[in-house]
Amino acid sequence: MMNRIPAAGIAAVILLSAASIFLDPYTQYLVNLIMSYVVIAVGLNIVLGFAGQLSFAHSAFMGIGAYATALLMAELHFPLPLALPAAGLISAVVGLCVGLPAVRVRGLYLALVTIACLYFFSWVFVHWTSVTNGTNGMAVSSLTLLGWRLDTDAQKFYPLLITMLLMMALASAIMRSRLGRALVMVRDAELAAQVCGINVMQTKALAFAISAFYAGVGGGMFAISISFIDPHSFGILQMVTQFGMVLIGGLSSLAGAAIGAVLLTVLPELLREFRGAEELLYGLLMIVFIIFMPDGIAGFLRRRGWLKATDLGGRAPSRADRAINRKTVAQNPLHESEQP
Amino acid sequence: MDLPVYLVVGISNGTLYALMALGLVLIYKTQNFVPFVNGEFFTAGAFAAFTVFKIAMLPYWAAVCIAVLAGAAIGLICERAVIRPLANSHHLSLVMATVGASILLQGMARLRWGDDIYTFPPLLAEAKVTIASVPIAMQNLIVIIASLIVMAVLFGFFTYTKLGRQVKAVSQSLVGAQIIGVNPNRVYRTTWMLSGAIGAVAGVLAAPFTLLYPDMGSEILIKGFAAAILGGLTSIPGALIGGLAIGISETLIGGYINTVFIKISAFAVIMIVLLVKPQGLFGTSSIGRV
Repeated sequence: MMNRIPAAGIAAVILLSAASIFLDPYTQYLVNLIMSYVVIAVGLNIVLGFAGQLSFAHSAFMGIGAYATALLMAELHFPLPLALPAAGLISAVVGLCVGLPAVRVRGLYLALVTIACLYFFSWVFVHWTSVTNGTNGMAVSSLTLLGWRLDTDAQKFYPLLITMLLMMALASAIMRSRLGRALVMVRDAELAAQVCGINVMQTKALAFAISAFYAGVGGGMFAISISFIDPHSFGILQMVTQFGMVLIGGLSSLAGAAIGAVLLTVLPELLREFRGAEELLYGLLMIVFIIFMPDGIAGFLRRRGWLKATDLGGRAPSRADRAINRKTVAQNPLHESEQP
Repeated sequence: MDLPVYLVVGISNGTLYALMALGLVLIYKTQNFVPFVNGEFFTAGAFAAFTVFKIAMLPYWAAVCIAVLAGAAIGLICERAVIRPLANSHHLSLVMATVGASILLQGMARLRWGDDIYTFPPLLAEAKVTIASVPIAMQNLIVIIASLIVMAVLFGFFTYTKLGRQVKAVSQSLVGAQIIGVNPNRVYRTTWMLSGAIGAVAGVLAAPFTLLYPDMGSEILIKGFAAAILGGLTSIPGALIGGLAIGISETLIGGYINTVFIKISAFAVIMIVLLVKPQGLFGTSSIGRV
């Protein structure tokens, strides 16, 4: 079967890189922002879609990456190609510190720990004024790359594009590796994974750290794209937006996360005028997709044969599968750990 | 010297958190997931009372009644439109759907009310009573008494009514309850309406302190989570004790250390409890079934 979407993606990238000479600054800015969100959404999909762990802390990790990038470049004069991965690593270390203890607790409790973590970091961004400059926010200093200045959106485009492509390639490699398959197995059958000799805790913690790395790099790209960090942009609405990207694009699909990121970056720009419309739209889309299209746009494309079905949880469950699932779930409405 | 004052404020806030926690525990006990939409019941209650009292100029008791009805109605709509279609799904989908519902309701509130902040008067305007030389704001006393009444009513409902016992039966064993003829959908509808009504009561009671704005519910929801987790998520007395513990401790931290820490004390409680004693203080420890 044709694998049209990645092909279409590559075509879009080539078109974009050629067109960036002609794009007006606003469109160019939007394209840069989209690329940041693609990286962030792909990272969230690793922990949410592939590993099946409900993490609310992703936007906090994004904030850490944004601040880290800005500070590394401004205070330590890191060049851009070093600052982004370094910011990613800082995020990953923080993610690991949260993730290691958090993966001990299951399912819902993980969601609650991470949402507490999200609020905690939002508070830190505002109150640690000596580092983050508090509510005044932080301007991202003018960037240089190998002696070239990156001031305009068009100049920022190519470094961001290369980062995004590298991150996509890395994600695709990780998901095809032993680790990627281990993640999916831990999600689908934790006990069986243990029997197979997979260290479940370690795998979950790694998923957490990898996704935090993506959030960190994406946050850095975000900071560079918008040139200004507002501590309030890493809160709960940000988190919901990212959930929306992954859900609408399609859980456990890298292409899906990218599609979701494009959609949910462009749509709110069109709704700028109406206060509250953005939230209304996200909420409605999330509910509708969870109920009627739980595998998102990627699932739809897969069923049409436009996107290759993979065995990494990307396979659309057959009718029989669904029936069996429904039966077992109905018999055991409490997930197994919560049986009294 | 200030200690009694802090304690009263802490208990008053704590009972509000306990009400939020109660709404969460009700749903967790019957459907085994934690809803993220309860903050919006709180907001809905506050804004419904505001509309009735300040705009329609009706008496206070009417405002409270309408707020409770509005909360219950929104709870019912959530159950019917969002939860019922997903009844057999993984808890991950259910949680995400309630996140969606929450943000949807917030957007609706913002469309109507904008980003302004509204004030709501306390029931007895700024009255203070002095008990044993401790000045106490009347609203704090009202909050405490009203919350205790709500909890007593709930206790009565679960102990003495058929529907209440059915809810208890479903929370103990879904299959067992179905065998003896309990309709689980009816039970879920009841718990969601109760949850909505309780959230709305908390909203009306808290409105004079928190002021009204479209995302007023999200902060108290987190406090409710913390209270519920501290109490073990499945225990109703646990929710009350958890709420009180958080209310009192954060007031004391704010009073004696620094007010900036009030905001994060609940998050710290969540993290510490879950990492040290994941089943909470009163929850039953879960045994994984292989």
